[in-house]
Amino acid sequence: MSNSLRRTTAPWRIGVLFSRTGFMSVIEETQYQGTLLAIEEINAAGGVCGRELVPVSYDPGSDSAAYGHYAKRLMIEDEVSTIFGCYTSSSRKAVLPVVERLNGLLWYPTLYEGFEASPNVIYTGASPNQNSLALCRYLMDNYGSRFYFVGSDYIYPRESNRVMREVLKANGGSVVGERYVSVHARWQDFLPIVQDIRRIRPDVIFSTVVGEATIFLYQAYANVGLDPRKMPIASLTTTEAEIAAMGFDVGEGHITAASYFQGVEGEANDSFVNRFKKRFGGDVSTNMCVEASYFQLHLFAKALEQANTLDTEILRAMVMGTTFDAPQGAVTVNPNTAHADLWTRIGRANGDGQFDVISQSREAVHADPFLIGYGRATAQAGNTL
Amino acid sequence: MNEAMRKPVSNREAVGRKSMVQELADLTTVVLAPMDDQTTLLLRELQRYRMRVQQVWPMPTTVPGEADVVFCEYCPDLARRLPWIPGDARSALVVIVPASEPIQAESLSHATPNAVLPRPFTPNAVLSSLVLARSQFGYERRLRSKIEKLDENLRSMRTVERAKAILMATRQMPETEAYSFIRRQAMDRRVSASAVAAAIVDSFELLGYDPQH
Repeated sequence: MSNSLRRTTAPWRIGVLFSRTGFMSVIEETQYQGTLLAIEEINAAGGVCGRELVPVSYDPGSDSAAYGHYAKRLMIEDEVSTIFGCYTSSSRKAVLPVVERLNGLLWYPTLYEGFEASPNVIYTGASPNQNSLALCRYLMDNYGSRFYFVGSDYIYPRESNRVMREVLKANGGSVVGERYVSVHARWQDFLPIVQDIRRIRPDVIFSTVVGEATIFLYQAYANVGLDPRKMPIASLTTTEAEIAAMGFDVGEGHITAASYFQGVEGEANDSFVNRFKKRFGGDVSTNMCVEASYFQLHLFAKALEQANTLDTEILRAMVMGTTFDAPQGAVTVNPNTAHADLWTRIGRANGDGQFDVISQSREAVHADPFLIGYGRATAQAGNTL
Repeated sequence: MNEAMRKPVSNREAVGRKSMVQELADLTTVVLAPMDDQTTLLLRELQRYRMRVQQVWPMPTTVPGEADVVFCEYCPDLARRLPWIPGDARSALVVIVPASEPIQAESLSHATPNAVLPRPFTPNAVLSSLVLARSQFGYERRLRSKIEKLDENLRSMRTVERAKAILMATRQMPETEAYSFIRRQAMDRRVSASAVAAAIVDSFELLGYDPQH
């Protein structure tokens, strides 16, 4: 009996939930690709404990509630306990009750607003202390302290702006405007906003617009002739994928804070970018969400190799403290928070649709999703750089 | 042995709350089971507790989701027929378990019942499953709302901290006095301390005040 168990070659079935259709597909399709690339690499190297990884994948079509229903289907009908997926906070919050009640494990490869720590989630995207703080300091040092907030109207932008406002105020800055648009916003919805921006003349536009709407914001900005050298759009969510969709000329000069850009130097990243392009075509770019989706699969495989079971309790214990040489640099799942310790970088989009890294941390920054270490010390926000 | 345990069960007036059985009155319940002698007994018991009962059979594709308590015959794909996602149930669920036909542990677990009622039914078994399901369901819901409130408190604590710092700087209040000022304002206005704190922070922001400088 134990002999046959040890020798099994049955595949490990894992769930994958990214929207490949709908308004979030611009970015989630790339997360799907990052996930797929890692699975193929792991399988090509002989799988985990001699067993192949087999993804069971659904497309929730950018509908938050559908994530909850597919998570239920994955865990109950497909008998999968580990799920990789979700971009928006609304979709994560739809999956949360399912994985918590049925004791599954969700791997979430997206930056988010922090203030969460579920025993059934591993967070591999950036928390506010790994992007917002450094971005705020950089913008204030280089452009000025009057910020204009534009965001999509859902949890992440509102919460993220709450954190940014706090950091900004603590550093002597001010919010001179704050506007929210529907996640389904079209280009005309941004016209009154860019007009308002032109009138108010802030030093920086801080955008938490996500998905397709991102493209319309940057295009509307370009159309009214605003100059990114003087008043850039700064974002935590605009990646190479959105820049490619809006046009390189439209994106040029704008700023994003992220743990990863395709332009990150180093052998690990060069090789990753080559493999990604070989698999998905030379004209597609990697981005922070591809990278997090990719390295979290490798972190998972490393932990699974030790655990040799998908049992959530055992697997999770093995994941805590696991380190992997990701394309962004070495990353570790912080055992205190189940969030990954990640690198902090500021990038400026260039004419080739890539980000030039203009500032980066010396090492991975510890995840602090509840901003516990920043209660009164927000004035030192930038000192990780 | 504490005082509460010695109190006579019949003396509800002194306890000041309804008995468990009284609490059952007027609750709505749906029974998903074929009509037979057993089900007749179950319905009779539920009616005896003055519950409002509806019996449904054959098993619908989607279990009705509006009742307070659902009694539902076990079936292997029960979880899929439930109208909610696990962790977000809207009714207390009692799964009726067959006497001798084998059942699958996973199927039962996936349905996340709050209690089970094995056949053949007895009045004691019916009451036990009812009490257990109601209390487990209620407890789970209270824990969830407690976690939501904790999350909310965590956020509002940061606002209160900032409001306190503003008061300390602008009104030369010592720390304890700043806190009690916020609390007093909250009581007078019948709003939460965090709402008062948010109002203080917002109004000072409007005036361009910066607590760090």
